[in-house]
Amino acid sequence: MRCKRFEQQMWAYIEGQLPPRQARALEAHLQACPYCQRQLEAAQATYHALRALPRRRAPVNLSEQVRRRIAEAPARPTLDWARVWRRVALAPALGLLAAAAWWGWYAHQSAPSPNTVAADSAESFVELHEQLELADWSPSPTPSYFISTGYTR
Amino acid sequence: MDTLSVEARLVERAKAQDETAFEQIMSLYADRLYNYILRMVGNATDAEDLVQETFLRAYQGLPTFDGRASLGTWLYRIATNLCIDHQRRRARRVPTVSYSMQEDEDGEPAEWEFPDLQTPNPLDAALNRELEAVVEEAIGNLSPKLKTVLLLYDVEELSYEEIARVLNIPIGTVKSRLNHARTQIQRYVAAYLNDAPKHAGTPPASEGMDDAMQAF
Repeated sequence: MRCKRFEQQMWAYIEGQLPPRQARALEAHLQACPYCQRQLEAAQATYHALRALPRRRAPVNLSEQVRRRIAEAPARPTLDWARVWRRVALAPALGLLAAAAWWGWYAHQSAPSPNTVAADSAESFVELHEQLELADWSPSPTPSYFISTGYTR
Repeated sequence: MDTLSVEARLVERAKAQDETAFEQIMSLYADRLYNYILRMVGNATDAEDLVQETFLRAYQGLPTFDGRASLGTWLYRIATNLCIDHQRRRARRVPTVSYSMQEDEDGEPAEWEFPDLQTPNPLDAALNRELEAVVEEAIGNLSPKLKTVLLLYDVEELSYEEIARVLNIPIGTVKSRLNHARTQIQRYVAAYLNDAPKHAGTPPASEGMDDAMQAF
């Protein structure tokens, strides 16, 4: 278990970011542990290799290809104000619906006899619900990368 | 004028439909993004397509780019998202996908410039190139999440803060992923270094990894 702890400190040690006391403890451990010596050697080799990895040039025609794709790409979707308005208008409608449902439930509770009010209210609730379902709820075609980073843990 | 203000001016000009400004943005970031994407996806054909797509998305997204993130952070974010999506799609098509850099999907040698071990070269240069190849292979074997952080920090040399913004994760998560990635890659290289005298020229075998683990 000690080796595991020291192994996790090796990169900080290489970068000179390990606090002096921990660095001394690691150095003392290295004197007696061939496994950690090999790991440190590997960490050092890897650290330097990562920073010296060969870098390739981007394809020479990249700019031309991007321009071609820009020209071929469909125009960016514009804001559909009719849709926005429908959504804005629907919010109070939903509020009214909730109030009507509550009122229906309340009337039913306060009047024990079988009544038609609650039934009517339930029917109108269903009708309104169906009408709302027929309304266009599809989101506007905004590409996902504009609204989210898309990368989750 | 510092880099950030130069870039901010380029962005403003590109937003105002100045095509040469966008060309300049591309030439500033083309090599960096191409290398990053190439190591993320492991083959040149996909990398070429994805770097084009990154710039296309950037062009389309310019009107909404508010400059809160730096241009580089924003471009790396677009590229990372595209790479992750690409890997998810590929994982769905091929359940046991390998991110090894040595072969592409057709089993052909990748276009990556691996050392030609038959060519006589000075010993040190040959060993260095061999080590590079092992490190590239180790990177290819990391999970996408670990690979992203390792490449951004140790190869692209972004700061913890920049990576946190690119990936939209806390800095603590960046550090923890980086530790995991580094430990994995270091064990892989350690196994190779231990095996090298016995099997010069061959990449580390999984038995080597097991040996390293047993030595714990």
